[in-house]
Amino acid sequence: MKGLNLALGAAGLAAFLLLGEAVPRLGLVKDAYFPPTSRIAGALGDELADSAFWTALGDTLTGWAVGLAVAACAGVVAGVVISVVPYLREATASTIEFLRPIPSVALIPLAVLLYGTELRSVLLLVVYASFWQILIQTLYGVQDVDPVAEETARSYGLGTWARIRYVLWPTALPYVMTGLRLAAAVALILTITAELVIGAPGLGARIAVAQTSQAVPDMYALIVVTGVLGLLINVGARSVERRALAWHQSVRGEVAV
Amino acid sequence: MRRFLLRLVFVLTLPAILLAVWWAASDSSTDVYWPPLRTILKTFPDVWTVERLRTDAVPSILRLSAGYATAALVGVALGTVIGSYRRVRAVCEPVLEFLRAVPPPVLVPVIMLFAGIGHTMKILVIAIGCVWPILLNTVEGVRAVDSVMAETARSYGVTGLARLRHVVLPSASPQIFAGLRQALSIGIILMVISEMFAASNGLGFTVVQFQRGFAIPDMWTGILVLGLLGFLLSVVFQLVERRVLGWYHGLRATTRRSR
Amino acid sequence: MTFVKGQGMLDVRGLKKVYEGSGRRVEAVRDLTFTVDAGELVCLVGPSGCGKTTLLKCMGGLLTPTAGEVLLQGERVTGPPPGMAFVFQEYGRSLFPWMRVGENVELPLKQKGLSRSRRRELVADALRSVGLADAAGAYPWQLSGGMQQRVAIARALAYEPQVLLMDEPFAAVDAQTRADLEDLVRGLWRERGITILFVTHDIDEAVYLGERVVVLSASPTVVQEQLKVDLPDDRDQLHTRVAPRFAELRTHVYEQIQAAKRGTPRDAPEDAVKTDAPPPA
Repeated sequence: MKGLNLALGAAGLAAFLLLGEAVPRLGLVKDAYFPPTSRIAGALGDELADSAFWTALGDTLTGWAVGLAVAACAGVVAGVVISVVPYLREATASTIEFLRPIPSVALIPLAVLLYGTELRSVLLLVVYASFWQILIQTLYGVQDVDPVAEETARSYGLGTWARIRYVLWPTALPYVMTGLRLAAAVALILTITAELVIGAPGLGARIAVAQTSQAVPDMYALIVVTGVLGLLINVGARSVERRALAWHQSVRGEVAV
Repeated sequence: MRRFLLRLVFVLTLPAILLAVWWAASDSSTDVYWPPLRTILKTFPDVWTVERLRTDAVPSILRLSAGYATAALVGVALGTVIGSYRRVRAVCEPVLEFLRAVPPPVLVPVIMLFAGIGHTMKILVIAIGCVWPILLNTVEGVRAVDSVMAETARSYGVTGLARLRHVVLPSASPQIFAGLRQALSIGIILMVISEMFAASNGLGFTVVQFQRGFAIPDMWTGILVLGLLGFLLSVVFQLVERRVLGWYHGLRATTRRSR
Repeated sequence: MTFVKGQGMLDVRGLKKVYEGSGRRVEAVRDLTFTVDAGELVCLVGPSGCGKTTLLKCMGGLLTPTAGEVLLQGERVTGPPPGMAFVFQEYGRSLFPWMRVGENVELPLKQKGLSRSRRRELVADALRSVGLADAAGAYPWQLSGGMQQRVAIARALAYEPQVLLMDEPFAAVDAQTRADLEDLVRGLWRERGITILFVTHDIDEAVYLGERVVVLSASPTVVQEQLKVDLPDDRDQLHTRVAPRFAELRTHVYEQIQAAKRGTPRDAPEDAVKTDAPPPA
């Protein structure tokens, strides 16, 4: 069954690539706008041989990883503190509800003025966007702590720190992992956006250059690279999440954020 | 009454403190990039006149609505078809996973090739960027219709369109709304950056114009407007979601309590 | 009634169901033959995991048998027939949580193409019969488990079936609710004259409810024994369950099920119990 699904999926992918080859060749769209698969593959080969491409990939990954790490630490710490300190949750709820939906791209002009095309520009957008994903999931996770477990811990005289360590954190961990998965995807989107719009060095900037210099196949090749990057990040994050979930007996629905 | 007042205090205190801190800290600011909040607020009514809202905010919101609605329709319809047939799903899944993983902003240069820099480009960018989370969540939700519910429907002769309308889509609706929620934030991002790239009006265009012209307080008011728009759209979304998924929240609250 | 006299309301003939998947072959039901007459209340009991649910789903047209056939009023069942209603064990998953109680009961009637006024009449009548006349506007998940199963029963009643198939409907409710629901089913049966096939793993429940008990063997399933329950028609939880005859019958069924679990082929009926079960067709 699994083998069949794999074969069907491979067939689907092959059909997709073939379609990409056939549509411009048959003249259904102009191949100046939509080059056939083979030409994109050729351009991809050229990119892979170019050291500037690897530098750009490194820049993108750096922006993504540093931004995600900062957001994750800040989000988890803030989430736990808000949940543990009495009344802090109620007091911060309205502020969080207001700040969270503010689109991080609104900060682009500010980032340009403050940091120009430096890495810090990218980080400002990435951290702002991914922080909320992790914070919200952490809050949900802590809210899910079984009151009986919490009372048991209290009745055995566990202190605040021990309760966080042994009751709160294990319950919240799967949620934090879900937050991390969502944040990883968002962080990539914002990294590429910042590079594309602001011109901070990286794959996004390379796409913008390819666009302005009319190197259409290269542009598509770079887009494919960002897609593969996104896919790898998704798959990686999901497998990490599954490992964190393995011991968690209840299968819970994903919280929409 | 007392509880209501207490809640009001909780809701208002922190925002009030934050605003006060911003006000006080920036009041004597001479840094051009961080103008005093006083200046920003004073600039606000001058910049965001009714005329300005009509020429910039309305086109942005219309384009966002058109793209988002298209994505929702196409995503739910296609997702229902793909989710209903196991084989179709197996064929499409890898391709869809890849397309979803492509960061949506890179669509802007691609769509510009095809559709120029007009309204069509922006609507297409928003629609194509938003469709994947909706599509994939719909597939997941339609696939996961409970087996007992499906058998109940079958044994009582609920088939065809009625099954779709009364059983499959409601059962998938929590998942569909999760997708719509993700798509909304992507849609706003795409609305803004497609206007930053190439436009003659729109919120994204205006904010970048202010920044390029070093009209810093004006730029700050633009950031505030974008933030406000994001917040308002999220409130509207939540209202709709509460209404449509009222049963789901009730059900979850009941199972949570009985656990 | 259009069916030929002498034929049952429901005929199960040589039914066999084999599940095949990923190289494994599971024979759930081997060879089942029995008949349910019009207006009868028949209970099917058997050891757990003996394919009772498979059998019921084949009868309801939800599964296609590997061999043999099911006849409803002489007509071969190939898909869910309009004259049959199903009550599932998992009431929580069988009622649609996004519909109010009234809408849940009404949905199948809409599919039947009944007029609005007729639908309203049937829904109100069915909900009244199960004692939930006031609950039409509530959501199922706002009700207790027993009440939810009542809604499922009301939905089946409103469908106006000739045959009601019930798959361990009370397995997931507490003991007291269960007793109430048993009396409800018997009451509805006597009042409305529907044919009911009731699957259970609870021997007491089978004897208390049934006019006849069909004992199934362990998987792969055959009919172990058929037993007529010669208790009076008026039954109540207090007196029927302590009647000596009740005790004899339940002991007998219990022994049959034990024998079924050991895999002993059908015993000759014991002296203590005079069976006049109809001979298998």
